[in-house]
Amino acid sequence: MIADPTLPETTTVASSAGAGAQPSLRRLMGEIRQRKVATAGLLVFLAILLIALLAPLLAPHEPLKQNLGDNFLPPAWKDGGDWTYPFGTDPLGRDILTRLMYGARSSLIISIGAVFVGLAIGLVTGLVAGFYGGFLDTTLMRLGDIQLAFPFVLFAIAILAVSPNRTVWHLMAVLGISSWVIYARVVRSRVLSERNKDYARAAQAVGASRWRVLRRYVLPNVWQAMVPIALLNLAYFVVVESLLSFIALGLSPPNPSWGSIRADGRQYMMVDPWMALLPGFAIVITVLAIGLAADGFADILDPKLTQGAFQRQPLTSSMPDSTIAEESENDLLQVRNVCIDYPAKSGTVHAVRDVSLDVAPAEVVGIVGESGSGKSTLGLAIMQLLDAPGRVTDGALLFEGADLARASNKRMNQIRGRGIGMIFQDPGNSLNPVLTVGYQLAEVIRANRAASGDGIRTLARQSLAAMNIADPDRVLRAYPFQLSGGMQQRVMIALAMIAKPRLLILDEPTSALDVTTQAQLLAELESLRAEHRTSMLFISHDIALLAQIASRIVVMYAGQVIESGPRDTVVANPLHPYTRALIGAVERVDAAGEERLEAIAGDPPDLRIVQPGCPFAPRCPLVMDRCWTVAPPRIAREPGHEVACHLYESPGSKEIAA
Amino acid sequence: MLAFALQRTAQMALVIFGVITLTFFAIRLVPGDPARLMEPPGTPESVLDLTRQKLGTDKPLSRQYLDFLSQLARGDMGTSFRGGRPVASTVLESVPNTLALGAISMAITTLVAFPLGIAASRKPNGWLDRATLALSSIAQATPGFWLGVMLALLFAVNLRWFPAIGNAGWKSYVLPVATLVISLFPLQIRAVRQAFIETMGEGFVRAARARGLSERRLLGVHITKVAAIPLITIIGLQAGYVLGGAIVIESIFNWPGIGNLTLQAISQRDFPMIQGTVLITAVVFTLINFFVDLTYAALDPRVRLR
Repeated sequence: MIADPTLPETTTVASSAGAGAQPSLRRLMGEIRQRKVATAGLLVFLAILLIALLAPLLAPHEPLKQNLGDNFLPPAWKDGGDWTYPFGTDPLGRDILTRLMYGARSSLIISIGAVFVGLAIGLVTGLVAGFYGGFLDTTLMRLGDIQLAFPFVLFAIAILAVSPNRTVWHLMAVLGISSWVIYARVVRSRVLSERNKDYARAAQAVGASRWRVLRRYVLPNVWQAMVPIALLNLAYFVVVESLLSFIALGLSPPNPSWGSIRADGRQYMMVDPWMALLPGFAIVITVLAIGLAADGFADILDPKLTQGAFQRQPLTSSMPDSTIAEESENDLLQVRNVCIDYPAKSGTVHAVRDVSLDVAPAEVVGIVGESGSGKSTLGLAIMQLLDAPGRVTDGALLFEGADLARASNKRMNQIRGRGIGMIFQDPGNSLNPVLTVGYQLAEVIRANRAASGDGIRTLARQSLAAMNIADPDRVLRAYPFQLSGGMQQRVMIALAMIAKPRLLILDEPTSALDVTTQAQLLAELESLRAEHRTSMLFISHDIALLAQIASRIVVMYAGQVIESGPRDTVVANPLHPYTRALIGAVERVDAAGEERLEAIAGDPPDLRIVQPGCPFAPRCPLVMDRCWTVAPPRIAREPGHEVACHLYESPGSKEIAA
Repeated sequence: MLAFALQRTAQMALVIFGVITLTFFAIRLVPGDPARLMEPPGTPESVLDLTRQKLGTDKPLSRQYLDFLSQLARGDMGTSFRGGRPVASTVLESVPNTLALGAISMAITTLVAFPLGIAASRKPNGWLDRATLALSSIAQATPGFWLGVMLALLFAVNLRWFPAIGNAGWKSYVLPVATLVISLFPLQIRAVRQAFIETMGEGFVRAARARGLSERRLLGVHITKVAAIPLITIIGLQAGYVLGGAIVIESIFNWPGIGNLTLQAISQRDFPMIQGTVLITAVVFTLINFFVDLTYAALDPRVRLR
């Protein structure tokens, strides 16, 4: 996952897929209305379809009626044309407009029918292959491979060429059979991924039949994925159908189709180019309309393709004076009143709200919070690596006195890696899969001019050995996928440490690893800190883990810091009810020795809404009236231990100006 | 790697065998008598019988099939029903024309699609991206056979810049190549754009950026090496399409290639010629697939070292 998994714009597809039972097709139709180009395409296509279906009512003439006295009449807007035949007539005196309308009829009916033939075959084979697996699966998919391994159009031509009478059904069948493989593959992969999801397994465990699970959970997602594919397929068929008619392998004459009108026109191109041009335009407009609609649907299902992943926007506003005044020599990183927004159509997500924190040289600061608390977003913001459309909207990120939020791209590129390094949660996805570990190490060594020539290999080996990797030469030659998760994460840390950054941001670096590996990694990080005096900002959902490595702990909830202080006081004497719940949750796990249960009742708040009062109020066991209306002030209880909670407002406490 | 190549070769042989067998029976099982087509209408049945004997279509299907296979095993593809030319040499003569047209079109398409697709992917929804997508949408919606005739009408008939038919020097390439490039580039440019955008969003790109690597290095090495892998498949499919004979385009420009030959043979019910062209097309197509698989393995260690 790229951003915090709770941000709506990155998870619309994922969450609806997870919900399973949601009427996703209806949602899709709802969202397409917000896209002008796609809606226009859809409407044009529907209009053409309507004309095609109503051709017998709308057409001014009979499509097959010949009137040899009126042949080769030009279109109405040319000399000698008139509105009896708006687009003129063909060599047999038949009205071209009428023939185009009837042509649309055969073109579209054949194409739509063919889509359904392909869809039906693909759906059945895909479902069977996905659900039964084994021999059936292998056979069906291999059959598809073989079909795709050969230009099927050629085969279709051969078959159609020898059919004496080609009806709509022949063409539908031939075209439809050519496309089943695409559908079958999509359906099969959906079935495989959906049936292994928890909700589908749970439903099956309580005795829901296979087909019920299928209908309720798998099919809605399949339909949704099918929409753009089927539309593109339809556009393709319109072209292929006209192509077949063009080479006289479409519907048997005299039935008009766009391709056959076009082919008739070819012979008389010098006399009457309109006959050749018009059906071409009809095809272009239809296919373009369908294509635009398909693009719109594909966009909705995969918004990344229009959003892009990374577009940095430096802050242009000047830094608040108060921030500059607060600068101190002692701190390496000073986060000051930072706000981060993700603008979205459904409402801007205020992911981080007015957060301040400090990291001193050689200090390890832990940030703890649930997913969606904004902790990862903050880490990415410090690196200035937020995914589009996320951006820092206010505040300052001071690293060694310089504001990263306002730094130039060039300057930021110098700071990344050399000033601040970052380790991500999923090490398997953080190393380039097609480059060896040795290449990736050498690349960073060269980029930092840390060594040259033979020294590169020596340094690469040393940096792996420093991470307690027993066989560095083997690892240097290996590709990331050949290494275990723990080994991958060691490589990541080795890569980050080559440039000797002053600050290392670690975003859940051990969450994907088993407990033993986790403990080893923590020990290695601690020795790195001791040796290089590297500061660390350690982000985790696990307060027990932070208690082992961090000297200070910052608790985040709903994008805000609700408590912060030295590790010992926060862990031994948690003030905020949320922190207490977090620690309580840990203790319960220790006692029961089982998997973590839902620790705190209720859900984190919707970050699109800025509510008055305390964000934790709806879930707080000690909630008071004023918690709903007044934002809690930050209160210092002991030196360095601050909490944002109304419980501690008493004459003895000292309120800190925000 | 060797086992992989052997397995693939066996699979290719199987596909080619399946295709020629299917073609053999398909063209014979449906009504339509080549003898009747060859002789003028009203030819007496006794003469038709003689023609059938000459063509060999009077024998039982199983016998015809075995004859066909044993001939093929000796490298003989038979003689054309029309004019008695040997199929093998006719088909092989047409192959270089098709290869030249296809290779030039593919090269130009790739040279256009890669830089433009990559440039568009840098700023999704930016002006260049929108323009590229709009252009490719329109090109995609324009059927090649229509475009070909329009180009011929404009540049060959009206302006007389280039010849409309045949292959007589470099000028003859312009119009068919232009038609093919316009038909091929939309799919490729979209695939390039999508592959690069998706790869740019990958965690390893962000991690590489977090290591302070330059944008040039990210795009030139980290993104391109990964994004290129799925594009091999698309290029392979398109190459198969043009090298297997861009049937209709070749027919429009009367290009002396394999596609044109296929279409003629089909319309004349020239069984040996159909079999010959289909066989060559199948061989070219499966060979391309084989190279795609090899390239895939060469580029992706996850495939190679599994």
